[in-house]
Amino acid sequence: MSLRILVVEDDREIRSMMQSALSVEGFEVQTAVSLSEARALLTHAMPDVLVLDLGLPDGDGVELVQHVRKRHALPILIVSARHQEAQKIQMLDAGADDYLVKPFSVAELLARIRVALRHRGTTLEPAVVLHVLDDLKIDLTTRVVQRAGETVHLTPTEFNLLARLARSAGRVVTHRQLLADVWGPEFTDHTHYLRLYMGQLRAKIERDPAEPRHLLTETGVGYRLAAV
Amino acid sequence: MVVLLLALATGGGFALDHHVALTSQAMLYVLTVVIAAYRLPFLPSVVCALGSVTAFNFFFVPPRWTLAVDSQEHLIALFTMLVVALVIHHLSASLRKETEQARLYAGRAQQLQELATELANASVAADVAALGKKTLDTGFAGPCLLATKLPDGRLDLPADFDASVHDGMEACMREAAVLGPGTGRWPGLNAWYLPLGSQGQMHGAVCIQNVAAADTSGREHAQALCALLAQTFWRLKMSAAMLAAQAETHRQQVQGTFLAAISHDLRTPLAALLGAASSLQTQRDKLPEADQVRLLESIVNEAGYLSNVTENTLQLVQLTNTAQGIRRSWESMEEIVGAVLARTRLRDPLRRIQSRLAKDLPLIQADPVLLAQLIGNLLDNALKYSTDGIDLVVDVAASTMQVSIKDRGVDIPEAMYQTIFEPYSRNDQSGQRGAGLGLALCRAIATAHGGTLSVRRRSRGGNVFCLSLPLPAEQPSGAPL
Repeated sequence: MSLRILVVEDDREIRSMMQSALSVEGFEVQTAVSLSEARALLTHAMPDVLVLDLGLPDGDGVELVQHVRKRHALPILIVSARHQEAQKIQMLDAGADDYLVKPFSVAELLARIRVALRHRGTTLEPAVVLHVLDDLKIDLTTRVVQRAGETVHLTPTEFNLLARLARSAGRVVTHRQLLADVWGPEFTDHTHYLRLYMGQLRAKIERDPAEPRHLLTETGVGYRLAAV
Repeated sequence: MVVLLLALATGGGFALDHHVALTSQAMLYVLTVVIAAYRLPFLPSVVCALGSVTAFNFFFVPPRWTLAVDSQEHLIALFTMLVVALVIHHLSASLRKETEQARLYAGRAQQLQELATELANASVAADVAALGKKTLDTGFAGPCLLATKLPDGRLDLPADFDASVHDGMEACMREAAVLGPGTGRWPGLNAWYLPLGSQGQMHGAVCIQNVAAADTSGREHAQALCALLAQTFWRLKMSAAMLAAQAETHRQQVQGTFLAAISHDLRTPLAALLGAASSLQTQRDKLPEADQVRLLESIVNEAGYLSNVTENTLQLVQLTNTAQGIRRSWESMEEIVGAVLARTRLRDPLRRIQSRLAKDLPLIQADPVLLAQLIGNLLDNALKYSTDGIDLVVDVAASTMQVSIKDRGVDIPEAMYQTIFEPYSRNDQSGQRGAGLGLALCRAIATAHGGTLSVRRRSRGGNVFCLSLPLPAEQPSGAPL
């Protein structure tokens, strides 16, 4: 059975472009032009992936993301324009998995959907215990991090930060989520902690910290641990 | 004074007694009366005249030591002395009054002239008001009040102003006429209210308290001062309006050129897009597969370029239009460069860009999205305009962070070191399509961060674009472990 995708997008051209591109890839595509239509479709049946455009005519969709996220582990992708930065971050904080900035290419859309499906949502996933990419190996049960077979010594905070990213490998984690999960909810404004610790982590893990391959920066949004 | 003068005359009379005739002694008293009448006010001078007559009679007119007068002759002398005293007093008093008046007029004329000179240099309404107040205070006993009209139509009066003063000012502005004693309007007041300006061009009002109805020249002086002030206010208003009009014209010119630049940057790729797409639409069956692929590639590239231009334009307009500054947070330049490189590598398959970052770079206060756009634009330009390696160097020098992007492309002529950062210029020598607004946006971002962006020649050929950002005075305190 093919995977079902619900695309919520009010622009006709982009909607039909996504519909045909995704159909060609073998997805069964449903479309909605507004939040209310999306809600109606969602009560009927849950899709496997939700692609949600920002700036829909009848609301910002945060509520929908929270509602869906509470009950289901399906991947949620946000499609935004550049000026919707703050709204996009709000969606990610509310439980969306990833985002695409308009204009985007079909190839990019497909790649993001593939990654999201591989890691299937954020709530009900089986706990990630081992992350391996190239020469980097992170074992969350033994708390051992190895680079090219050699153990890397991390401080507890550095490890917690890396572990938080590893549990959401491939997906973007916002500054707010990282600060709240690693330091505590009262530190969500202290983004400089992240700058300092990410710098230290990169220095220990990356071959070239100036051009990281694992600890990727989503400028202005958050971080992402590269995944297969 | 009167007593002293009489004593002197009497003393002189006794000293000359038996040496001169009675007439000469009388002359001494006449002299006294003349001096008193010339120097002293009315009442003392009359007292002096009567005193002189009495003393002369008592001391010298026979029979001496009595007030009796024994001959007709002496009576005439006494009467003449009194009349002389009064006449001289009257003459000298009116002369003195005229002198004083002349002095007052001269003083007022000078005051008016001084005010005119000072006002010629005033460039702010507040200065004009202060000068006016100062001149009124020296010119009139006062107290004087000067209030200018605020943009919302209210008068700029001190907090503890008198309601009647306010009403008087409002009334004189409404009627565009002087009110108060001697004017025929509101004569019951004890103050003059003078408008600053004429009907339809009112700039404020003046109130001069404790004035007399008879002081016509004083009122005229006040009116002259107010007319001068009103004229200056009007001049300032006119020059401000002219400056605004000039700025508006300039803005429209800039906008026009700006629009022309943008539409050029948008039209070219649009033409290419439309050409490629329509050719695929109508001739797909006839075109060999390689051509179809080429056309599709061109569509993707042109659309990408369009999206870039749009993004830059929007960002530039946003940056130059919003008065409030950019959103800043603590950012790591290493991180921003890393993110930019990750994106730019897609267009740099040969890895021509080599990055070199100093160790332990301090954090900066910046908008990371904007800085990433700046560095990304510069790298894209370098990739486009040169074919050799490109160096991206970040280091710290003299409390600034410097990001240099060094290429080996065609030298930018020195004459263009400034103009290439303007929104509507482009170094067209390479024949490549321009970055259009890209560099203008880069400079706007640098400026918004309090930094600078400049270009210079690279030794042994090529150009160096250098972004210099001020470092914050302090680094944020570290994180709890």
